[in-house]
Amino acid sequence: MFTFPVILRLVIGALMIGSVYAVLGMGYSLIYKATGLMNLAMGDFLMLGAFVGLTFYKTLGLNIYLSFILTFVVMFIVGYVTQRYLITVLLNKGASFSYIILCTAGLSMLFQNGVQLIWAPFTLQFPAIFSKASVPFLSIKVAPENLLVLAIATVSAVALHFFLNKTRFGTAMRASALDQTAASSVGIDVGLTKGITWGLSAALAGVLGMALGPVYGVYSALGAMIAQKAFAGAVTGGYGNIYGAVIGGLFYGFVETFTAAYVSTAYKDVITFVILIVILSVAPNGIFKEKVIE
Amino acid sequence: MKTFVQKNLKAIIAVAVLVVIALVLAQKTYYALIIGLIGIYAIVADSLDILFGYTGQISLGHAGLFAIGAYVTTLLRMRLGVPSLVALVLGAIVTMLAGFLVAIPASKLVKHFLSLLMIAFGQMVYLIVNTWTPVTGGSLGIGEIPYLNVFGLVLNSNLKCAIFIWILVAVCMLVKYRIINSRTGRAFIAIRENPVAARGLGIDVRRYKIMAFAISAFLTGMAGGLYAYLRGFISPETFNGTQSTLFMTMLLFGGITTVAGPVIGSAVLLLVKEVFQSLALYQGLIYAVFILIILFFFPNGAVGVYYNMQAAMKKKSNKKAEEQEVAKNA
Repeated sequence: MFTFPVILRLVIGALMIGSVYAVLGMGYSLIYKATGLMNLAMGDFLMLGAFVGLTFYKTLGLNIYLSFILTFVVMFIVGYVTQRYLITVLLNKGASFSYIILCTAGLSMLFQNGVQLIWAPFTLQFPAIFSKASVPFLSIKVAPENLLVLAIATVSAVALHFFLNKTRFGTAMRASALDQTAASSVGIDVGLTKGITWGLSAALAGVLGMALGPVYGVYSALGAMIAQKAFAGAVTGGYGNIYGAVIGGLFYGFVETFTAAYVSTAYKDVITFVILIVILSVAPNGIFKEKVIE
Repeated sequence: MKTFVQKNLKAIIAVAVLVVIALVLAQKTYYALIIGLIGIYAIVADSLDILFGYTGQISLGHAGLFAIGAYVTTLLRMRLGVPSLVALVLGAIVTMLAGFLVAIPASKLVKHFLSLLMIAFGQMVYLIVNTWTPVTGGSLGIGEIPYLNVFGLVLNSNLKCAIFIWILVAVCMLVKYRIINSRTGRAFIAIRENPVAARGLGIDVRRYKIMAFAISAFLTGMAGGLYAYLRGFISPETFNGTQSTLFMTMLLFGGITTVAGPVIGSAVLLLVKEVFQSLALYQGLIYAVFILIILFFFPNGAVGVYYNMQAAMKKKSNKKAEEQEVAKNA
């Protein structure tokens, strides 16, 4: 039970799912930092990405790279439109935070039920991306699709880091998150940066969803549980801090995988929520001490 | 001075007419069930109104509290043989304790994190009732829950149960009215409007927030117990996260901080559900569209629309009167 290959297999599994939580959690934090809002439809962006990717790859028969790029673009537009034409309109009407949260909850229901009508109300098979069913890794064999998820998540996280810190636009985004008035006074289009922030987090979620397609299959509730774990990760790391979200996401990946292996498969999700509630109760600021208390 | 009856004549007539219609319809078992369910959801929406409408604390986890009420009542009744009415009350009290426990950390958190905590709470309860099979029956649920026995009167039909539920709805409304128009209620509203200013006035913000949570949880737990008795069957699917969103939608659709709002909201949403029962696939979609339409176009709910119309009509008649006045003078 505690032999090296078993542990290694678990670690790879934990890293795979943990990295998904990490990137999704970065999306949550990015949105929170830039707009001060919470998006309950995050998991459904991931799920929608899986369906869109499936359509490009399987139905239209495009090649895998092109499918990923197109999924990124489509999901970016979905996220951007959501922010510019739903959230902003609602905010301009003077809606409070509670109403925005409910709006994203409604969107989440809309997406989950919408895809069932457009595509199918059952799980769709995502064709294998690689010709080999498994590749040797150290002493064990791993499905290449799992490694692809890990690779895409890692690349996304690193790319996001450089985008935010090394490009003009990233600097503008960080500036408008810090102080909107000051940012707009030096000529930054704050509305546009907010829209792009939502677009980016939706696009990253969508690409990950597509990568997860071959692993889990594509179905309407694909994103629901993943989003809640990512959420837990973002809170644990310190909500609003993208690096905290990475650490938190990986933490829950490990907790979930090792609980399932050594404690109980049935209770693996319960344990996640118990930990989240405990953290929200005793240390709601998370690892990176983001301010969340009134 | 007008008496209570004179002041509320229209409302009293409306309620009387509705009661007669409901009683006629409820001769059919199916309609009696729907009417009972509307009452149960109205209690939940009322309890949310105390928490969200008056105190400003959002909860997307009330399905979890609803589940605790339903399961504790059922288990006490069936496993331990506790008398049914006592089980109902104990179920509500246990739910209140659960609400109290959640409220201790929740009362500290700002809006987003409060909703997060409540979502996590609801999800945790849902997962526990789903997986703790030896006790909760797992995803298959628990069936053949015995009838409610109120001081020797066995509520062995949907109609009897529905009447009992609606008596409790009336009691809840009265309790809510009394709370809101008391010192406590004014403290709730002050906290909603501005927690910092409320603290400045000497209101113990945390204590009142916890109190609002506990009251809300008690009522929701009671509604959960009533649900178990009315349906005679409970399973985890009734208590998932979507249900929590629906509770909020019922309240918002009816209109927050109103007397009739929660009842209207639960009635309309439940009827929509029943009408589209055969189109299961569209049901969620319709609900989702409903939520968005309410948020974008009727943020004050159905009662708000009514008041707006009334205000507009008044304005019109005032204008007319003014014009006549001007004409007379000229």
